[in-house]
Amino acid sequence: MPELRRDPIIGRWVIISTERAKRPDQFGIGKVEEERRPGSEKCPFCEGNESMTPPEIYALRKPGTRPNGPGWDVRVIPAMFPLLKVEESLDRHGAGMYDIMNARGAHERIIETPQHLRETELSKEQITKCMNVVLDRMRDLERDPAIKYVLFFKNYGEAAGAGPLWHSRSQIIGTPVNLKRVKEELAGAKSYYEYKDRCIFCDIIKQELKDGKRIVAQSEYFLAIAPFASRFPFETWIIPKEHACDFYKMERGRVPDFSGLLRLIFAKMMKVIGDFPYNLVLHTAPFRRESGKKGYWETIERDYHWHFEVLPVLTRVAGFEWGSGFYINPLPPEDAAKSVREAQGATS
Amino acid sequence: MNELRRDPITGRWIIVFLDKIPAVSDFKVEPHAKKKEGCPFCWGSESFTPPEIIAHRKYGAPNTPNWTVRVVPNKFPALRIEGELNKEGIGIFDMMNGIGAHEVIVDSPDHFRDMADLKCPEIEEVVWAYLARSMDLRGDKRFKYILIFKNYGKSAGASLEHPHSQLIALPVVPKRVIEELHGAERYYDYRQRCVFCDMIRQDKEEKSRIIYEDERFIAFCPYVSRFSYEVWVLPKNHRSDFANMPRDHVPGFARAMKNALARIKTLLSDPSYNFIIHTSPINGHEREDYHWHVEIMPKLSKVAGFEWGSGFYINPVPPDVAAKNLLSVKVEEK
Repeated sequence: MPELRRDPIIGRWVIISTERAKRPDQFGIGKVEEERRPGSEKCPFCEGNESMTPPEIYALRKPGTRPNGPGWDVRVIPAMFPLLKVEESLDRHGAGMYDIMNARGAHERIIETPQHLRETELSKEQITKCMNVVLDRMRDLERDPAIKYVLFFKNYGEAAGAGPLWHSRSQIIGTPVNLKRVKEELAGAKSYYEYKDRCIFCDIIKQELKDGKRIVAQSEYFLAIAPFASRFPFETWIIPKEHACDFYKMERGRVPDFSGLLRLIFAKMMKVIGDFPYNLVLHTAPFRRESGKKGYWETIERDYHWHFEVLPVLTRVAGFEWGSGFYINPLPPEDAAKSVREAQGATS
Repeated sequence: MNELRRDPITGRWIIVFLDKIPAVSDFKVEPHAKKKEGCPFCWGSESFTPPEIIAHRKYGAPNTPNWTVRVVPNKFPALRIEGELNKEGIGIFDMMNGIGAHEVIVDSPDHFRDMADLKCPEIEEVVWAYLARSMDLRGDKRFKYILIFKNYGKSAGASLEHPHSQLIALPVVPKRVIEELHGAERYYDYRQRCVFCDMIRQDKEEKSRIIYEDERFIAFCPYVSRFSYEVWVLPKNHRSDFANMPRDHVPGFARAMKNALARIKTLLSDPSYNFIIHTSPINGHEREDYHWHVEIMPKLSKVAGFEWGSGFYINPVPPDVAAKNLLSVKVEEK
């Protein structure tokens, strides 16, 4: 019998349809193509090719090296075709019944390694450097009053929307409005808090630690789970065990622990499903520039909990999902968690 | 300069490209496999599907050839028709049994012609099947919503190539529908007008986004299109419930659908697409604040991490450019 499960945070329903279940290796579309490993001479993200990109915004550099030259570990550049631009003015206006504004914001690309490597080849130390750069960029963007929210994400593999380049990278987008999906999640967390006086994510962590069957992996400070109402096969959330609403305020001392867990779960997942396309998306609280503001933000420090979502692209999202916001997942998250948990992943 | 536009119904934002608009030829369209052998939806293969629920045929017995449109239960249903809901909670999680109906409407016996290639009277038969199944299923008290949609082409999620549509009856009202209903209700409370009627009015004044219009139906590229070449088809007069469509409106609706789908197919070289009929939940009365419509979404770009995380869509083709291009191609009218 298929099961309908409801996401406790935003109320989205998911059909866990075991009758359509497939073995983990039978999910069709998602194989990242191996053959296209182009040489590094033409890759604009490789060390030595800095002149092929717009001038850098920020970089983690070895002492004595110059901006836009070699000698960096992680480099941040403006997106080549930015969706939103820092220079624009916002100019909100209406057109009849519609609202419009200019595309003011930030769109940056984080080049995660100077070498011509893919995500799967990065060491724990390198991932730690990248995460520290993300924290630095978010702290900097907080100072721009026009930016309300910062989205950090990675598209891996063409099926997940990544371009054809091989080089490991991720993106940051600072938006001038609060985003609909973010608002939904915030509203869901707030209403749970109002009712129970507890953070819903903390409650989920407690229940998952007790049940155990949806745990994928854990480290000292972080937990990786297959959520109860997973929309996609092998969907995984990574969440700090201790309550915190802002990712960018994470203690620097915990970044290596986080990076190690991230590396571990991807290594384990690849053992089970091979090299798979995915989107990795950070969910964190919006910037709050007036502290102690009443109303909407009043309890956000206590009711919201940052986390990462890993969304593997193994099934196609079809008309039904788009029209209904109702997902069909052929693999129960308990089965997904078990196979990933038991896979022997690489150690750092 | 790119522009941010806000959907007046759901409040979602989209980014429209205004400086770097891709040409029609920039979209890569995957070829559709065309293999008739072993297709369970062709004449003569009736025994490969579960027994039919309804069909149109001039002569002959059920589950034999000579039908023109045929409705069968989905062989691999996402939801099952038999059983009770048994709602329960597990700690903080809620669940219930997956009860519902999942049916397949085989649009025509022709393996090689999609809805865009059918004649208007053939599309009318498909619409007839949609309406007949909707009316029948709304008698079942367990169901709250009936979703009718079509996936055409592999990248739109179609697993069988023979052109078909699907119907799913659900025991809960899905989230996107609730969002849309709430948005429309809020707009109505404030202005005492239907937001969709207002959209039709504004589009008729501005003209630049309309691709089809007759006495009863209109098709346009919405101002806040999430996808390149997205097209909506709506009845011009206010109606909230698709299943209550007066029978003499069916030919007009078939004509509008044919026109919109044929323009998309001709201009964009037969892309994969989804269409979804948005209608009010099952409750038996017409609502003043909601307006049924069809959303057609060609699959031309992939939805990536940004869209997932934000509910914020990037559309590289401004809708007035899309409409102009769609109008530039010649299509068969009937």
